[in-house]
Amino acid sequence: MELFEWGSNPWGQETLVRISWDLLYLAFWGGIAFILFHVVYAIVWLPKLARANGGGEAEAGGASVPARILRHTSAARFFHWVMAAAMIALLITGFFPIVGIQFPWVTIHWISGVLLTISILYHIVHATFFLDFWSIWILPADLREAWQRVRHQMGQEAGAIRKHGKYPLDHKLYHLAVTIAGLAVIGTGIVMMARIDGALWPRNPYLLSDATWGLMYVLHGFGSVLFVTLTLTHIYFAIRPEKLWITRSMIFGYVDRDRYLEHHDPQRWVVSRDSTEG
Amino acid sequence: MADYKLIGKPYETADLVAKATGRAKYAEDFRADGMLFAKLLVSPMPHGRVRSIDTSAAEAMPGVEAILTADDLPAADAPNETSLTNEPKYEGEPILAVAAVDETTAADAIEAIRVDMEPLPFAVDPLDSLRPGGPDARLDGNTMINRELATVKWNNVDWAAIDNGELPTDGEISEEWEVGDVEAGLAEADMVLDEVLFHQSMGHQPMETRTAMAYWQNGKCYLHVSTQSTLRTHGFAARGIGIAPEDLVLVSEYCGGGFGSKIFGFIQMNIPALLSQKAGKPVMMRITRQDEHFIGRARPGLQGRVRIGFRRDGRITAMDMFAVQDNGPYGQSGDFVVWPDMASLMYMPLSHRFRGISVYTNTPPRSPQRAPGGLQAVSMFAPLMQKAARQLDIDPLELIRINAPAGQAKIGRPDENGQQGNVTSAFVAEIADLAEQDLDWPAMRARSGRRNGSKVTGVGVALSSFNAGAWGMDGLLTIRPDGKVYIQQGIGNLGTESVFDTARVAMEVLQTDWEQAEVIWGDTSKHLPWSTVQAGSTTTWAHTRANQAAGEDAKRKLQEIAARDLGGSADDYDVADGRVFRRGARSTGLSFAQAAQRAIELGGRYDGHELPEDINAVTVGAATALAGLGLMGVAKDNYAVGGRVISHAIGIAEVEVDLETGAVELKDYRVATDVGTVINPRTLAAQLHGGGIQGFSAALAQKWVYDRRWGLQVSKRFYANRPPTFLDVPHEQPLQWAAQDKPDPFSPVGAKGVGETAEGAGSGAVLCAIADALGDGYFNRTPLMTDMILTKLENLPPAFSRLAAHV
Amino acid sequence: MAVIRDMMPAFELFQPTTTDEALGLLDEYRERAWVLAGGLDSFDWLKDRVKRPAAVVDLGGVEALRAIRPAGGGLEIGAMATLREVSRSPDVRERYALLADAAEIVASPQIRNQGTLGGNLAQDTRCWYYRDGWNCYRAGGTICYADTPTAMNREHCILGASRCVAVNPSDTAPALVALDGELEIHSSGGTRVVAAEDFFVGPDVDIMRMTVLEPGDLLTAVRLPDTWAGARFYFEKSRDRQVWDFALAAVASAAKITNGTVEDIRIVVNGVAPTPLRLRASEDAVRGRQLNDEVAARAGEAAVQGVRPLNHNGFKVALLRNLVMRAVRGGEA
Repeated sequence: MELFEWGSNPWGQETLVRISWDLLYLAFWGGIAFILFHVVYAIVWLPKLARANGGGEAEAGGASVPARILRHTSAARFFHWVMAAAMIALLITGFFPIVGIQFPWVTIHWISGVLLTISILYHIVHATFFLDFWSIWILPADLREAWQRVRHQMGQEAGAIRKHGKYPLDHKLYHLAVTIAGLAVIGTGIVMMARIDGALWPRNPYLLSDATWGLMYVLHGFGSVLFVTLTLTHIYFAIRPEKLWITRSMIFGYVDRDRYLEHHDPQRWVVSRDSTEG
Repeated sequence: MADYKLIGKPYETADLVAKATGRAKYAEDFRADGMLFAKLLVSPMPHGRVRSIDTSAAEAMPGVEAILTADDLPAADAPNETSLTNEPKYEGEPILAVAAVDETTAADAIEAIRVDMEPLPFAVDPLDSLRPGGPDARLDGNTMINRELATVKWNNVDWAAIDNGELPTDGEISEEWEVGDVEAGLAEADMVLDEVLFHQSMGHQPMETRTAMAYWQNGKCYLHVSTQSTLRTHGFAARGIGIAPEDLVLVSEYCGGGFGSKIFGFIQMNIPALLSQKAGKPVMMRITRQDEHFIGRARPGLQGRVRIGFRRDGRITAMDMFAVQDNGPYGQSGDFVVWPDMASLMYMPLSHRFRGISVYTNTPPRSPQRAPGGLQAVSMFAPLMQKAARQLDIDPLELIRINAPAGQAKIGRPDENGQQGNVTSAFVAEIADLAEQDLDWPAMRARSGRRNGSKVTGVGVALSSFNAGAWGMDGLLTIRPDGKVYIQQGIGNLGTESVFDTARVAMEVLQTDWEQAEVIWGDTSKHLPWSTVQAGSTTTWAHTRANQAAGEDAKRKLQEIAARDLGGSADDYDVADGRVFRRGARSTGLSFAQAAQRAIELGGRYDGHELPEDINAVTVGAATALAGLGLMGVAKDNYAVGGRVISHAIGIAEVEVDLETGAVELKDYRVATDVGTVINPRTLAAQLHGGGIQGFSAALAQKWVYDRRWGLQVSKRFYANRPPTFLDVPHEQPLQWAAQDKPDPFSPVGAKGVGETAEGAGSGAVLCAIADALGDGYFNRTPLMTDMILTKLENLPPAFSRLAAHV
Repeated sequence: MAVIRDMMPAFELFQPTTTDEALGLLDEYRERAWVLAGGLDSFDWLKDRVKRPAAVVDLGGVEALRAIRPAGGGLEIGAMATLREVSRSPDVRERYALLADAAEIVASPQIRNQGTLGGNLAQDTRCWYYRDGWNCYRAGGTICYADTPTAMNREHCILGASRCVAVNPSDTAPALVALDGELEIHSSGGTRVVAAEDFFVGPDVDIMRMTVLEPGDLLTAVRLPDTWAGARFYFEKSRDRQVWDFALAAVASAAKITNGTVEDIRIVVNGVAPTPLRLRASEDAVRGRQLNDEVAARAGEAAVQGVRPLNHNGFKVALLRNLVMRAVRGGEA
């Protein structure tokens, strides 16, 4: 398997063209393998853990918690689904032609890319100024807890594990991966617009040197194939029965009190009456 | 015209059947036992330095026998080139050569070689290199000043104007002269044209790509090579291989075209010889069309500016010419100085000035190409003459007459004493009459402007003058006991047939049938006399004279032998029909066979054991080898040199231009010429029309296209660089021609060359015809293609600067 | 590794005599096979070592692919019929003069003797960057060298480009589309028939090929329906040389005209877009109207709606407009 595809420039010098498309298949089958692993894990391991823990119980003292808790504001949901649509469009337009399903994809691809960029810009502003900015980022406490959880999973004594704040570590990890891959594809994608015919800009494939372009395509490629894995696993988790309540919250915005109390630490994800009015 | 027996009569040349049947052996048709094939590894970039070469994989391949690199060759003095280099200065420049058992293996071996190169700055447009901070095509400069490499930047020049398609004339130049007072001439003119001009660079593109096969035997190198010249290629080839001339046998019986690109063979012809030396086997190097495209030489392009002053009566008062030459990376081409030279003759301006500079570029090396500088002069100036004629309301043919050179007209650059040279003859007014009367210019002109649907007819006329002769060569022949006259010719067999045509002069002197002559040519082991290059249209003039001299020498010796044997004085005898005989008593005499036998018996000067003192050492060697074989005629051309030998042609062309599609259809082309005495009407016609056709292509289609970002040529294929094809020639009716058949006064036969002159006449006439069709279609740029015509017709913004090179 | 051009590398040469034999070979070698018809397109690629097939399947010996015969009211022309045979065929000349005219103007007489109809239709683009082996989109790279600030693109697209700006160079293709022809494609999986218009693929869909032909496919025949037989035809090719030159732009049209009114018309151009382009807007501007210069001019204007000329090919806009106008006007090309 190759990591990169090399070509030569008109002077016969070797240049980096893009990632090898072997990585696309690797990303796809890697994602599938992870899902299969998780399916097995979920069937074999999770019930064992649940029995050991005696099941998750809602904490007492949730009386002040409203029956429905706003998890995602309508704006956040709108962003998510716009982003998801753009991402799906990007993946389909980007990768279907590579696997042999041919159609005119470039325009849809770049328009989807622009849409994705706009939605992410919006998200950055929205999340920074209007949401609990730190709730999604991995903080030192998350790492400590992660270690605890690992020990717990391995059946070792790990002490009392606190429940999650608004976002559990796996969500945070996923968000981090999406952030990195997303910035890679968007950053490079915007530059790559110089290579296609645009109505508003003159096409200039010589904006950057061959080597820099190669790097752009490689970063774009890596980000994109990572999204293949991320998207596969994301969809998988979204449709797992025990996670459907989260998926529903991305549609309707709310989680109910039981779920909230079962999975979250109210001290870490403080909800008030106000928060039901998203 | 004198009453000639052979001169001026069509005949069958000795090589005709071989050529027509494919039996003629060109360089690549030769084979030798165990012969290997060579392939070239060429530069992928316009300018670079080889950092390292890894040939290990190639050498490990079965069948790979030798590899030659620049390190195996002696260096050349800058700015000259070597056949292989570690610092290629143009795309396609050979870096190394591989010899292998077959071409497939050699090519595979090339692909297995890893060459690490450092790209260096490059320039494909001369103006880019003159720009302050602009790249230089060579590490040691971008031009030559006083025969020294130098770097010139036009720091004081208005570059915004250049970017705008103007060409200021205040930049530093390397060549300058003035005849008369140009500014005064322009001041007194009633009308002044001030124009920016562009002429493209264009490859020679002969049908036969350059090819050479070499092997060694008993310390001698045998080289079969595609070359224009034979004798003159010999020394150059020996030097390139690094051996004494006597250790080289050069064979070149046929050459499939050269147009100036193979005058001395070609620089890379030493590669098979040196590879053969390394491998110990014969090596054949067939240059591919792609490689030919790069190493096959090209005409330098010119970016120019001219101011021409006209009096109301059409007389040109002054021409002020300024040019930047696109020189390629090596040597120095003379085109840019011949350009004003020829203009000064064709238009006889009362005063003229030239200023110019030749700039190195990373494009294929240049060499003379059919009328070097002369074609550019006609293509660039003839349309301006027509423009002036239109504005002055004078028939353009009449304008040619008004400014025509006549007699021993002055020409070009003055010498250090301020004296201009002169030509031997110029019968331009006479050929203007031929164009008018025999070729019926008035009828053609009457069709100007005729509409046929969306098509409009245009007609044009152009005068073209160019060099047509060299002198001082030697003639050598032997009349042998078999009764035949063996005429040794050191010039090449390029397809012009002058190798045979000029030999006929000796037979004319001997008044003997052509069938009795044997022409010896194409092999330096066959004892060839000192000859001119087969180039520059020099051979007709040079070797009609040399063969006249040799013929006269033979004739004299025949007369002397007859007098000695049969009594009386030599002058009592005459020579004709293969005999020397007493005047008035034709039966008293000797046949050539008898005389030859007698010459051998007499020895001394009769059979070549004693030779004239003034002949070239090469001829001495050849004659010495032939001594004793028969009666020898050997002499140097000592006839008077009356000046520069120049032929003239006036082309008239008719085109139809479709105003909706920009398509140009050439309907008719006729040409009248002054070549002095016509030696062979068939070959003259072939040169007049062949040259004309090459001119059509220069005017209409042939060019290079370079991507400036990479300095690489994208128009490598024939369909992209568009040399002329047969079907682009008007073929509804035979193309007419006419020659004023008066001898030049400075040669015994009076015959001048024609090949060069012919091209400009075609190009200039067609450009003028298009301009005429479009009413005011002066583009000042060649080639004039569909896009340019439509851009003008539709008033579209031009896609490129009118000075842009290689677009 | 160094690059060498103009020297054909070794490959396995197969010379089948039947279509089935050819299909078997194509099936066996798939992507590594190269179909050789007249060789005019192929030999460039092979000699320049840019395309490196392992096996070349020479169809020259498959006699069955050369026939020109009536079929279902129309005509069927074997893909291996030479351009000369097509242009000189009385059947083609009589009823489908448009195709005969187009075939007659391809390249040069020698090339027409050797080149085939199938090869002319399926030929690769002549973009000089791509043909020179530059690693562009069409060659699998990530750039179009013909559309950069320094690109030399006089002979490239003004319409329908998508990243790649190369044009389809075929002269017979627009004629075939105008005649509403169909192409018969065989493969080991069976036979399919594709409308000429759908045979050509633009870079928006697949930047690495010009037609729907896939590895294993063999174009066997061209079918001309009787729909446009004997219509009023017009073919014109604009080029710089009178011979051996690809079209700067070419137009092919077939029109049914009754009493000066255009009942129906098809106008197809080539050399201006990545595929032969049917100009429906121009057709609509003419259909049902009385034929006159004004209508012709309107068709010309409609042809150039939405053009996007490159740095060096603005002239093609005027050329295309005028060629379409002339096609509608009719008369001698």
